[in-house]
Amino acid sequence: MKCRVKFRNMAAGISLAALSGMVYADDMAVNLILPTDASFYTHNFQSLKSPSYLLAANEGEAVPDAVKGPASVAPVIPAAEFKPPMFTGRNAHKYLGLGTIVLAGLTAATAPGEACETNCPPPSSQPRQTSGTAHSRLARATAAMAAATVMTGLLYHWDDFHMEDGWTDPDNLHAMLGTAGALLMLYAVDKSAKSTVPTSHAATAELGAVAMVVAIKLTW
Amino acid sequence: MMQKKWKIAAILAVALSLSSTYAMAEEYFWLWVVNPSRQKGVKPVTDKPYQNECGECHFAYQPGLLPAKSWEALLNADALRKHFGANAEVDKDTLRGIHDYAVDNAAEKSFYKRARKIAVATEEGPAPLRITELRYISRKHHDIPEKMIKGNPGVKSLSFCDKCHTQAAQGVYDADTVNIPNYPNWDGWFSK
Repeated sequence: MKCRVKFRNMAAGISLAALSGMVYADDMAVNLILPTDASFYTHNFQSLKSPSYLLAANEGEAVPDAVKGPASVAPVIPAAEFKPPMFTGRNAHKYLGLGTIVLAGLTAATAPGEACETNCPPPSSQPRQTSGTAHSRLARATAAMAAATVMTGLLYHWDDFHMEDGWTDPDNLHAMLGTAGALLMLYAVDKSAKSTVPTSHAATAELGAVAMVVAIKLTW
Repeated sequence: MMQKKWKIAAILAVALSLSSTYAMAEEYFWLWVVNPSRQKGVKPVTDKPYQNECGECHFAYQPGLLPAKSWEALLNADALRKHFGANAEVDKDTLRGIHDYAVDNAAEKSFYKRARKIAVATEEGPAPLRITELRYISRKHHDIPEKMIKGNPGVKSLSFCDKCHTQAAQGVYDADTVNIPNYPNWDGWFSK
């Protein structure tokens, strides 16, 4: 039974990882088109000569056509109507985050009640352990989704996090609170799963969920 | 147990509120807290005279893209006579109107995420006069090849936000809404 539960958890984890992987691969596949443009590497001397690859080169007045090499001028392609893509890594991160909050709410709603930590009755008279209930399954799913949210956030928003901007920067606060929230949820699930009798873990998990809600609001 | 739990939650809430000093300073803080609509970019331009006067020559940049000290430096009669190499003078009343609108909606007075980021990044130091000079903005664009902007007849300069940011007029500058003219397949996987 325990083996099956472990297997199921592993399968859930792999599915979530595969989901992130698929989104990642999808974006990478599109991006692969860029380097196939050979002129990008061989003829765009402005890009190769100096760090002008960076913003500085994009600054100021536009370069007159006379001083530009033919390869530095982009081909004019008729503009097609643009529609933002539905499935992107950033959207996956957003929906995983929102899903985590929904699951956290459902987990709290299915909680069996307060557990005992001090002056407890003997284990035999305590309520039985609740693993395998809707609450514990939802809790595991919440923790897995929280972890997947953090992972997709690191993948798709890695460059929004800059310590030089200080910790009051909305993206920095978002990353710190979101990660702290996910870790608190994982700790709460782990604490409960390792105990032979019901342990109080609600405060930790709720704190984690609150941290995640605040993190989402800061960058919503 | 319950008491302890609520104590921790209350301490966290207070700490978060106090830490967000930039948010606390804003009189509409609680409205922002309960507002479920997305405020990830910058507040769109809502002032007709501002839109008309600025938009006549260039994209009407949202006031949230610069701090108030920058708008103060840019929107006065002297500065407008030499507005980035052009004479952009307007009559006194119009100038007062667009100046007040820009200052009242400047980065540090907005709850929109990108405006807050700009406000935090420009808190210290001299007033930046170009949006493209902002550290945050330059970092966001630094890995875009030159030929996609300056060498791109459909863009020409980073100043033309709306050439690539398809929802710039609505204040949305997400990477997912970027479409660089002549590079329709460049989705900016690592662009921000």
